[in-house]
Amino acid sequence: MATVKLTNVKKVYGKNTVAVQDFNLEIADKEFVVFVGPSGCGKSTTLRMIAGLEEITEGTIEIGGRVVNDLQPKDRDIAMVFQNYALYPHLTVFENMAFALRLKRIPVEEPVLNKDGTPKLDKEGKEIKRTVFKKLPNDEIYEKVTNAAEILGITEYLTRRPRELSGGQRQRVAIGRAMVRDSQVFLMDEPLSNLDAKLRNQMRAEIILLRQKIDTTFIYVTHDQTEAMTLGDRIVIMKDGFIMQVGTPTEVFEMPDNLFVAEFIGAPKMNTFKTTLERVEDEYFVSPCGVRMPVDGEKGAALLGKDVKTQQIILGVRPEHITLTNKANPYAIPCTIEVNEMMGSELHLHVTSEAGDKIIVRVPTVSLTGAQINMLRTGARVYITFKSKVMHFFGEDEINLLTDKENVIGKLPEREIPAELLEEEPKKRLFKRKKADKQADEADQTTAGSDAQGEASVDMQAEEPRQEAEQTGEKS
Amino acid sequence: MHSSLEYLKLNKFQRMLYKIAEFFMNLPNRFAAKFKKLGLAIKNLGVNIAENAKDIWSTFVHGSWKTKVSYLVMGFSSFLHGQWLRGLLFLLFEGVFIGYMAWTGAYWLSKLGTLGNVVTHTEMVEIEGELYPQEIAGDNSFKILLYSLITILFIVAFAYTWYQNVKQCKALEEIDAMGKPVKAAKDDLKSLLDDQFHKTLLSLPVFGITMFTVLPIIFMILVAFTNYDADHDGYYNLFTWVGLENFNTMFKLGSNVSMAFGEILGWTLIWAFFATFTNYFLGMFLAMMINKKGIKIKKFWRTIFVISIAVPQFISLLYISNLFNDNGIINGWLMSLGWIDKPISFWGDGTLARIMVIVINIWIGIPYLMLITTGILMNIPEDLYESAKIDGANAFQQYAKITLPYMLFVTGPYLLNSFISNINNFNVIYLLTQGGPANYVWGSAGGYVAGDTTILITWLFGMTADAHNYKIASAIGIMVFIVVAALSLIVFNIMPSTKREEDFS
Amino acid sequence: MKDDEILTTTPQNDDLYLENAQECENNEQDITIEDAPIDVEFDIAEEQTDIDIECADNVAFDMPVNAPTTSRAVYMPTEESVRKEHMSARRKSRISNGVIYAILVVMCVVWILPFIGILLESFRCESTGQVGYIFPKVWGFDNYVRLFTETQFPRWFGNTLIMGLVTAVVQTIFVMAVSYALSRNRFKGRKLLMNIMLIFGMFPGFLTLILLYTWMNDWHLTMENAPWGLIIIYVASSGMGYYIAKGFFDTISHSLDEAARVDGATQFQVFYKIIMPLSKPIIIYTILMGFMGPWGDFVMASFMANNASAGYNAAAGLQWLLVDAKINEWYTTFCAGGVVVAVPITILFMCLQKYYVAGVTGGAVKG
Repeated sequence: MATVKLTNVKKVYGKNTVAVQDFNLEIADKEFVVFVGPSGCGKSTTLRMIAGLEEITEGTIEIGGRVVNDLQPKDRDIAMVFQNYALYPHLTVFENMAFALRLKRIPVEEPVLNKDGTPKLDKEGKEIKRTVFKKLPNDEIYEKVTNAAEILGITEYLTRRPRELSGGQRQRVAIGRAMVRDSQVFLMDEPLSNLDAKLRNQMRAEIILLRQKIDTTFIYVTHDQTEAMTLGDRIVIMKDGFIMQVGTPTEVFEMPDNLFVAEFIGAPKMNTFKTTLERVEDEYFVSPCGVRMPVDGEKGAALLGKDVKTQQIILGVRPEHITLTNKANPYAIPCTIEVNEMMGSELHLHVTSEAGDKIIVRVPTVSLTGAQINMLRTGARVYITFKSKVMHFFGEDEINLLTDKENVIGKLPEREIPAELLEEEPKKRLFKRKKADKQADEADQTTAGSDAQGEASVDMQAEEPRQEAEQTGEKS
Repeated sequence: MHSSLEYLKLNKFQRMLYKIAEFFMNLPNRFAAKFKKLGLAIKNLGVNIAENAKDIWSTFVHGSWKTKVSYLVMGFSSFLHGQWLRGLLFLLFEGVFIGYMAWTGAYWLSKLGTLGNVVTHTEMVEIEGELYPQEIAGDNSFKILLYSLITILFIVAFAYTWYQNVKQCKALEEIDAMGKPVKAAKDDLKSLLDDQFHKTLLSLPVFGITMFTVLPIIFMILVAFTNYDADHDGYYNLFTWVGLENFNTMFKLGSNVSMAFGEILGWTLIWAFFATFTNYFLGMFLAMMINKKGIKIKKFWRTIFVISIAVPQFISLLYISNLFNDNGIINGWLMSLGWIDKPISFWGDGTLARIMVIVINIWIGIPYLMLITTGILMNIPEDLYESAKIDGANAFQQYAKITLPYMLFVTGPYLLNSFISNINNFNVIYLLTQGGPANYVWGSAGGYVAGDTTILITWLFGMTADAHNYKIASAIGIMVFIVVAALSLIVFNIMPSTKREEDFS
Repeated sequence: MKDDEILTTTPQNDDLYLENAQECENNEQDITIEDAPIDVEFDIAEEQTDIDIECADNVAFDMPVNAPTTSRAVYMPTEESVRKEHMSARRKSRISNGVIYAILVVMCVVWILPFIGILLESFRCESTGQVGYIFPKVWGFDNYVRLFTETQFPRWFGNTLIMGLVTAVVQTIFVMAVSYALSRNRFKGRKLLMNIMLIFGMFPGFLTLILLYTWMNDWHLTMENAPWGLIIIYVASSGMGYYIAKGFFDTISHSLDEAARVDGATQFQVFYKIIMPLSKPIIIYTILMGFMGPWGDFVMASFMANNASAGYNAAAGLQWLLVDAKINEWYTTFCAGGVVVAVPITILFMCLQKYYVAGVTGGAVKG
């Protein structure tokens, strides 16, 4: 029930390990925002900075209009669901959920009493009041916990301990523990990644339902683009600490700002071709796989609108925007099928063009007969063609040629060397770098330590699969 | 390099040679790296100090008058900002420090150079016209050294606090400039249970460690550079600085002390080696026997051995030591069986005594090792053995190829620790032999007669408790430290698991 | 090589075998690649079964078991051979188990004997010194009576008990505090602190004996007050033994702390509401170690007491009975004292053995 605003937020571990770079984002009240990106992109770090579990190196974070940079997590009025659930093993499910409520102190104004029990009055005859911090009454705690448990369907497990529950049930308890808080912001750090595929789909649907019941601001971190697309009102796609694009699922799918977003969103991955965009008068042509084809329709007009010149580009075509065709088609690209993956409702063909491009084609099976499907087997020759209406054009800097936005981040340098190191003289630099390395090492060790703990916590949390690699990458 | 494919082509012997060659070839690099690191660390320290000094200076120059006053009157700025608790603590500390220095600290420090020059002596003093002999108290070298050290520590603590005070002033100025509210005393107290909780947790234990470990050890290190012994007790006969003389006697060829030191150091290492590895392997075998499938009442067997851990060592070891006495049960039995005519002097013969302490140490150590290895053995994944069986490994090969490497990897750091604790294994040696049998060939040095089973630590104890030769005892202590530190450094550099453990800690 | 054995021992088999081999080769040429191996296997296997049985009848040793494992043939165990193999394996393990039981029994006797010896010795009444036999000739409680009436043993025992209890409590608090802080907080100077403790831990503890004595003497905490001085000495530096508990804390997932902090707990609440309840084993281990320490220590104890026997702990006192001049008068009494000390400690230890093992194993692995 609050806005969250991040302004120029930066996180640096040690001296030169930048985890989050100049993060700017405004999250509206009751919005569901998903941070998504590959391992080590800084999404979890950002979330943890919002939670107050990591210090903010630079910039400010506001929750509900209040700068929270220097506040302890407990004072930020947030709730958080952890990847490994982080249920307290020694407490029952009920006590796990009630933990925060029992710690909570409510400020209550009450009159100051005289010794005889009458209220003390000041000179003007008003009652003198003082603020007392009171515990929540037990029955209120009980009510809140049972309510949440009912919503999540875990009422019957309330008296059990976490280790007696299955992964899915634990996840529900973790969500329930965050729910009872009625906090301003609900943070979720890869809550589904420890579940198996089937359960994950189920819980994903439940989170969508849950979201309608608890009306608050959600920030959700995941590395899974499907989760991001299905859950988020808006998606924040990150890479190497940078925000690559912020937008609704439709926006990021249809108009990716840069090649990274284009390839990250959508499965199977978008096909890309290095080719030339030719402008002949007011018409545009591309020649992927050596087949020259015109860019027609909206895209051509849009390119014209931007006054794009002839240049080297990276052409992006989604697998679903490639169709099978016959030799007669002037824009047919002859290919050989390498692998075919039958997914049921669709067929994923991994084909190689004569020029050697690897292309993935997604063919809906509904349009094919069984015999045809059988013919599309490894080694078969097929002709494919692209729908130019839905092509994506990226300049050599990997920025979408058609984007209207400014300050779009394109190609990121392979590895960053902090500017301060480059400016210094060689002799001094050696010294500084050593020092910086040492600090980076320390930061690494810290995370390594916490990983070891994470790993060993299996004892406490019973056995469950974990994605340590993801976390490690994230922090270092 | 070990992972290179070239290496994999080599046979076992070549691999070993390769590893050894690699180790020695890397040695200079390692040392170079260590020294470089050390140099960098010192340089860093220097730079830090310089930077801090600059910081202190610039804070003073650019600071407000509140800050400037705070440089003299600690906590002044905090007071004016309403942080009365911090201000009070700063001021109190300053007051105590100045008071202490004026009252006694300066006096002790002034005597530190000589460790005292007024000897306690008896004078005839005239009382009511009569002359009585009376003891006139002079200096006390021991106390001068001790309290000087405390004073120095106090000064260091004060300098640190003063620096904190300056930093606090700077922080307050920044807060002033930004117009933020100042943390109140109540918040300060609250944060001691929250974000500053580690300070609450650590303050008392660290104080204890400083006063009862760090300070005494520094004191005793200093003693090694004096002539503090039975002849110079520091009261009737003052002791004083003698530089490196004690180390000189320790290493000078031909001197009594150096002979004894050489012999004892040698035996200490032999003892530690055997004590560690006999226990390690026999303990592991015992654990494996008990763990073997098909062996019943495992718990019973374990419990029997655990009893010997539970019973305090002084009881069991003293009893065992007496068992092997000339008139003990063992000799009694052997004689009644007619195997020997006169008692075997288990503790009287140097070599026999040495063997005896190692053997009896097995009795002490195995149960402990059994407990440790049982846990680890159970952790070895069963499928490793299963796949080895399928590959056709017999029991011994399974042990050599799976169990032992696994154990060595996991218990590597423990082995090092146990080697070190065996170097310092006072109990077993002292309770069994008290370091005897006394060896008059090389043992008598510095007022104490060491024996064949004397190890450094019992020698140190003898020097302290029996001979009151504190200077030599301190020098021995430093030598023990050097041996232990060198060992740890070498082993930590070689062992793979220690490095990993470091990452984990 | 095994072919040779077959040749020499059972000629008929040999013929059959050779035929088989030839057949195999022929087959291989005829049949397509895919099918060949299966056929060959079947052929030989069937024949081999026959051979097995014949051999088993004719020859005394276990030939058939070995015979089929020649390069070409595929081993197809018969019921009998399986049974035999099982039997020999079982027999083998039975023998090896027997050997192990024998070793274990012998070892148990060796390990238990000293304790039985002490126990028997403590009931011996015919003499107070050492004797060359184990079973007492006159049984009785004289030694125990002497222990409690003629020595200051009750005082020693009381001293040690007080030391044990106080040390156990305070030391546990210290150790928990240090190890928690080092495991959970990343503060400035943490590494430095750990290094300082590591380096100073490498100095032998007895080095500081004389200083500590002098110091305690200044505060009148030596001689008959030695137990209190000892408590201070034991407790003050106990923070240095943080390794095992820290190793344990390190295994508790950090996300538990984080969850609790998000839930509104202060660091202190995290410590006592989350971490402490989860650390029961290590707390008990630390208490146990703290309590047992004073019972085993005699060097510090006798040094601090400095011949004032009222200040001894049990170990120093009992050891004092064994000084050369007194040993013949007090040896059996020493044994009685040993029993009185050892029995309660051993029982306590046995009850808490689980925690001890957990602590020791964890400590060894963590280093």
